[in-house]
Amino acid sequence: MDGIRVLLARFSSLFHRRRLDRELEEELRSHLDFAIADHRARGLSDAAARTAALRTFGGVAQIKEGYRRQRGLPMFEILSRDFQYALRQLWKAPGFTITTVLTLAIGIGVNTAVFSIMDAIVLRPLALPDLDRVVTVAEEQGRGDYKQVAMANYQSWLQQSNSFEDLAIRSNATLSLSDAGEVQSVTAGYTSANFFSVLRATPLLGRVYDASECVPGKDNVAVLSFAFWNKHFGADASVVGRTIRMEDHVYSIVGVMQKSMQYPSTADVFLPLAPTAPQAANRTFHSYLVVGRLRAGVTVQQAQSEMRVIAERLASAYPASNQGWSAKVEPLLDKINGDYTPMYIRLVLAATGFVLLVVCANVANLQFVRGIARRPEIAVRTALGAGRNRLLGHLMMENIVLGLLGAVGGLMFAAISLHLCAISMPDRVARYVAGWSNISLNGRALAFSFAIAVGAGFVSGLLPALKALRINLVDQLKAGSRTTSGSRQTHRLRDMFAISQIAFSVLLVIGAALMCKGMWSMLHVANVYQPDQSLTFAVTLPESRYNSDEKMAAWYQTSLERLRGLPGVTHAEVTTALPRGEDSWSDNVGIENRPAVPGKFQSAAHLVVSAGYFQALHIPLVSGRVFNNSDTLRSQPVAIVSHRFAERYFPGDNPIGHRIRMGSAPDEKAVWMRIVGVVSDVNYEWVDREDAPAVYMNVAQLPPAYVNYLLTTTGKPLLLASSVHAALAGIDSRIALNAMQTYQQYLNESLTGLLYVAVMLTVDAGIGLLLAAIGIFGVMANTVAERSREIALRMVMGANPQDMLRMILQRAAILTGAGVVSGIVLATALARVSASLLFGVSPNDPTVFLSITAAITAIALLVSWGPARRAASIDPMRAIRTE
Amino acid sequence: MGDKSDVLQGTLDLMVLKTLESMGPLHGYGIARRIEQVSENALSLNQGTIYPALLRLEQRGWIKSEWGASETNRRAKFYSLSRLGRKQIEKEIENWERTAATMARFLAPSN
Repeated sequence: MDGIRVLLARFSSLFHRRRLDRELEEELRSHLDFAIADHRARGLSDAAARTAALRTFGGVAQIKEGYRRQRGLPMFEILSRDFQYALRQLWKAPGFTITTVLTLAIGIGVNTAVFSIMDAIVLRPLALPDLDRVVTVAEEQGRGDYKQVAMANYQSWLQQSNSFEDLAIRSNATLSLSDAGEVQSVTAGYTSANFFSVLRATPLLGRVYDASECVPGKDNVAVLSFAFWNKHFGADASVVGRTIRMEDHVYSIVGVMQKSMQYPSTADVFLPLAPTAPQAANRTFHSYLVVGRLRAGVTVQQAQSEMRVIAERLASAYPASNQGWSAKVEPLLDKINGDYTPMYIRLVLAATGFVLLVVCANVANLQFVRGIARRPEIAVRTALGAGRNRLLGHLMMENIVLGLLGAVGGLMFAAISLHLCAISMPDRVARYVAGWSNISLNGRALAFSFAIAVGAGFVSGLLPALKALRINLVDQLKAGSRTTSGSRQTHRLRDMFAISQIAFSVLLVIGAALMCKGMWSMLHVANVYQPDQSLTFAVTLPESRYNSDEKMAAWYQTSLERLRGLPGVTHAEVTTALPRGEDSWSDNVGIENRPAVPGKFQSAAHLVVSAGYFQALHIPLVSGRVFNNSDTLRSQPVAIVSHRFAERYFPGDNPIGHRIRMGSAPDEKAVWMRIVGVVSDVNYEWVDREDAPAVYMNVAQLPPAYVNYLLTTTGKPLLLASSVHAALAGIDSRIALNAMQTYQQYLNESLTGLLYVAVMLTVDAGIGLLLAAIGIFGVMANTVAERSREIALRMVMGANPQDMLRMILQRAAILTGAGVVSGIVLATALARVSASLLFGVSPNDPTVFLSITAAITAIALLVSWGPARRAASIDPMRAIRTE
Repeated sequence: MGDKSDVLQGTLDLMVLKTLESMGPLHGYGIARRIEQVSENALSLNQGTIYPALLRLEQRGWIKSEWGASETNRRAKFYSLSRLGRKQIEKEIENWERTAATMARFLAPSN
């Protein structure tokens, strides 16, 4: 209490030092006046009274000094004086200051931007309390094959487990919004009532639904997500109590969620999950997701072992459905982040860190030059009695001020970069990235940039400052001293900085080039399908009106006929997943007359396509036939399998004529299908290096509710959009056509994340390269300036300008060579380590390594050409005279 | 700062507080003179050292200061006890007596 009061008093005194000094002055004067008056009253003369008064007072100067120390905060005052001094010094050297601050701003800016992105989407994609205790529980079929959860299994878990405070269940569905002018799709998250309490998510407006509303017939209430509320209702606070019409059902809006609640990130509305009795008793329909909150003190491992025991118990109680199934508990955060995002962001963060190192090296080089120029100043101050530590304090304060100024610029740079990131991200992709809308320069980003600013100032300034202080006082103070040259040791340090800059930029450029090359090959991996010439869009048939196979099959038949009739359309087909679209799902395969081995599962990609699909995408038929018009709802269901499927499940045998079924046995959709053909392999994923086995079914026989349309065209695909809308609206005007774009755009969307990584690495590499070029230019220019006397002497002794040119370039070549070689060593090592991240390119790609080495060497020699020319054009007589 | 000056410092603080308690508002010179008189000049005090002590007491909120005019109409800074300081005197006296008693026990001839 006492301490705080004193501290406050001392602190507040800092703000009116001048007035307090004046008052002290006056107070002491009055003291002396009183004393003098007293002494005079005792009969002393004026002069004697004054002397006596001063004697009894003690040393006036010491008292004042002691008083001031007592009054303020001495440490703080020294720092603030250094701070002001540093500002003055920097103001006097505008060229140096601007260059350094800009360099630092770029380094700090890119780092802050990348940190903000990582903070928002990896570290805290959901700003919800105690997120580390929230887990997902999935079912596991066999080893490592995770599946969604069956409703009855969830009910059993809920009753039998002790590890969780609560377990919630949810599923997703696409619904069409019927009251808007144009038909629109919304993503609904059907959740149990406890979903919100498990996530500790509270509504921004209104309320969430409760368990009494998660019952069929009472479930006509909706909670809006923050983003949807903003987009669709313009953030109107009076929305609660109004209604929203989806799939011909009217829901009353009871609440709006907080912005921080972005799980699932795609959800536009939350609706009560109200299972019917048969749905609740189903153990084979694996289509729900379970999230739970661990009890305090329970670890993920403990919950996992409990769940395994429960799963075993269920397997023996319900062998038909649960044999071979287990349960997997995982932290929600890991699940949201997935495997790749954190890895890529770390890769970018590492690259950006290297940029900061290059920046520091550059600034250090500038500081060395400045240190040499400042020698006279430092010499004079040393001669006047300034201690080494005080001088070092000054110089370091200057660096920290530079760092902080750089941070201010950096924050502006970061704000612009983040804005560019935000506007270039398509909405359709952003909704899958939890936390994307949370990216901002928040307090953590500010703290981060402050910390790296001080750190960068310190790192880049320490060595130059120590060097600047190591001067020979006598030499320095002598008139006409050679102020422009540094010591041999300084040169060695500067050379090392230049070399490391080149090394880091080689590393950055090679890394970015490998990434971009991989990116490029991935962008064109689907070129065989002529994605530029194709239009795609997605359709979900509303369950309420398309409630039978007949109705769905009829829709597909009519819609495809109408689309094929449009001018400019060569093929119109549907498929549940497009090649390389990362949209396919795998399913269990059963083969007739081949009993399943318990615990051993056979699976294949499950695809439903229209008859002309293979022809439209030029997928060759290996044997048998493709689908044709004789395959109907009333004929024997047929299937076409991929080449790999045939190899894996019918080795050395002809699969045609055999019967297979997809899905688990009691599922009504799992019908026996006769294999009628084998087609070539198609890869439906990006990252899988080998094509998974696939089974194709006919949309006319087993119509799905969700498909992608694919139209190949003769002209520009997007020009067809309006005629496609009109053609399909003529059949059913309430079907939403989602994500209409070219197939190429569709493919690019799945690469958005990688594209960002490639762009950021390229930006990093560009900055690194630019700074390295500036760095080597600076070193060479300085070398020439320092050695002009030597060069002049050599020329007087008979060397010709060509020799001088060669001498300087040789030096540049040595520095560059050393940098490039160490850069290649670093790049090779890092490329090996991160090989798994660089799809479509080998980590030791000689073309990339050689061309980049050549390019960087050329750049370094090119920027050294200027200084070298200057060396060659030195006029010997003038150079010697001016020295 | 050594232990010796700490004790002295505390002593000086208490002398100032006690002076202000008995004399009412007083300027720095007045306080210094009063202390010299009460101690019958046994204390060789540099009068100037009174000022850091006054500042310290003021920072703690035990005394407050105000500019005013002396009897001779000279402008001077007058110090007076605050309410907090009045309470503090009791504690300081207690502390001092305890220290003095302890010292007395040490210095008493052992028997």
